[in-house]
Amino acid sequence: MSNKKILICDDDEGILDVLGLILEDTGHTIIPEINSLNVKAVMDKEMPDLIILDLWMPVLSGDQLLSMIRTTPVYKDLPVIIISASRDGEQIANDHLASAFIAKPFDYDHLLTVVGELLN
Amino acid sequence: MDTFQHGKFLFSGASLQTSLDLLTKALDASISGIILTDNKQPDNPIVYCNSAFEKLTGYQRNEIIGHNCRFLQADDRNQKERKILRDSIKNGQECAIEIRNYKQNGDLFWNDLYVAPVKDASGEITHFIGVQNDISDRKKVEQDLRQQKVSMEKIIAERTADLRDSEAFLTSIIQTVREGLLVLDRDFKVISANSHFIRTFKVTSEDTVGKELYALGNNQWDIPQLRELLVKILPTNNPVVDFEVEHDFPHIGRKLMLLNAYRIELEGQFKDQILLAIEDITDRKEIERRKDDFLSIASHELKTPLTTIKGYMQVLQRNIPDNASEKFSITMGKVAQYIDRLNSLIAELLDVSRIQTGNIELHEAPIDFDKMVAEAVEGIQTSAPNHRIILSGSTNVSILADESHIIQVLNNLISNAIKYGPDSSVVEVHISNVSEYVKVSVKDSGVGMTSEDTKKVFERFYRGNDVQKRFPGMGIGLYVCDQIIKNHKGTLWVDSEKGKGSTFSFTLPKNGKELAKNE
Repeated sequence: MSNKKILICDDDEGILDVLGLILEDTGHTIIPEINSLNVKAVMDKEMPDLIILDLWMPVLSGDQLLSMIRTTPVYKDLPVIIISASRDGEQIANDHLASAFIAKPFDYDHLLTVVGELLN
Repeated sequence: MDTFQHGKFLFSGASLQTSLDLLTKALDASISGIILTDNKQPDNPIVYCNSAFEKLTGYQRNEIIGHNCRFLQADDRNQKERKILRDSIKNGQECAIEIRNYKQNGDLFWNDLYVAPVKDASGEITHFIGVQNDISDRKKVEQDLRQQKVSMEKIIAERTADLRDSEAFLTSIIQTVREGLLVLDRDFKVISANSHFIRTFKVTSEDTVGKELYALGNNQWDIPQLRELLVKILPTNNPVVDFEVEHDFPHIGRKLMLLNAYRIELEGQFKDQILLAIEDITDRKEIERRKDDFLSIASHELKTPLTTIKGYMQVLQRNIPDNASEKFSITMGKVAQYIDRLNSLIAELLDVSRIQTGNIELHEAPIDFDKMVAEAVEGIQTSAPNHRIILSGSTNVSILADESHIIQVLNNLISNAIKYGPDSSVVEVHISNVSEYVKVSVKDSGVGMTSEDTKKVFERFYRGNDVQKRFPGMGIGLYVCDQIIKNHKGTLWVDSEKGKGSTFSFTLPKNGKELAKNE
């Protein structure tokens, strides 16, 4: 498996850390970002292969970020996983054309499967 | 004077003596007491009385003759009739009075007394004649009548006061109650409006009473839903119960109202009047919405650290050192199990809150039913290695339902079957087509329940007595399942016998709730 870049954005430090810990084993490069306002800049700089986004984040929410990604020609086909503890998370993810939705708390194996599928 | 009264009393040509005897006998035969008093003697003594007078008064002749007749009044000397009597005698006039007299034995009797003077040729009064009749019985009847009339009047006064009291009481209730109440006549004109209505809708009594409902406050009550309710539903004799109407009023803004209406069918002055109760639930709905929001946020916030903990746990579980003790691995497994339980408790709480406020939304979509059930069974099977879940039957249909909700029900029923049958090893799941429904049955050979429990098992927070002691849980899982199936217009029920296991079954309309409703 070639080395890919995964950008993770969540406003919760613990989630960022544990996602990094899990995905690290895949051998991919993990780019954690706690401030959603920085996502665009990081994307432009790092050109990630996959983005994992939380929904409820201060100032700029996950669905707003996703809309921005889907309307930016360069990124419109970029795989994006929405990850949320919100009840209507799946609905929001589908409405904004996310590639996948994973409910919090997530299952280790399920997460790896979804990530694996989207990267190949 | 010539012969006695011109011979008028010389009966049959008899002698004066014989005629007098006859006359006396006639007087004695009278039922009226008759006396003569001698006006020429001091104090008008009685000089004659007939037998009826003796009988009437109970006195013997010897106790009567020579007395003034006032002895009949005993000590009762203050009657106004006495003055009339005295004046008549003084003025030599006749008089008729009704006076209280007393018999020899002290008994009261009412005496209807007629007194007339007897004058001699010179016009001088020589005697008085008194004729008396005992009218006690008549007086008693009169008195009874009077008393009855008085007591009737008293009762009527009391009843009227009671009525007025209860009317005032009812009115005060109607005026105090925090719900708008209108009484309409059959043409929807307002007969009365209570103060809550006046306050809530910021109108005045004068602008309201006597006006047609729709015309109130510049036609702001001309609400299509309200017209439909009054014109279409009420005439069918069905009361209107909890009819929700939303309307944007020009001055007071958007209001969500709950309407209850009732038409009086009873014959009488109120027939065909309409009672319309209007409850303003705008604030209540707003509070419910805020509660839902709060719970959504709370559960989201609780789940965030839980996600982290679960993540770390899973990392740890996958990195157990080769030399770790069995106790270490088991403990890790238990921690993971309780993290899952905490997670489902948070989810359940949110579910209950939403169901209670009726805010569960269904996202209906076509589902491959058999596949969905198979996957749910498989999912639980992996986490319950000690039980065997046997899936039988097939439907080969696609149904219109909210998949995540139905999976939640399946998971709940199958996990219950496992949870409450710790000593049995098999859970049977059977699916089938029944008419326009699909049916799922989950059968366990667990502890079962009493018929008492089967009636209450779908109630919120209900837990069977035995179950309470032996198994953990909050008693909301089945309640949520029941509500979900009801939302889909299906039914959920249980057949069970104590000690012999339970079978939970549910049906779902294949074509979704809307079609099911119209059928």
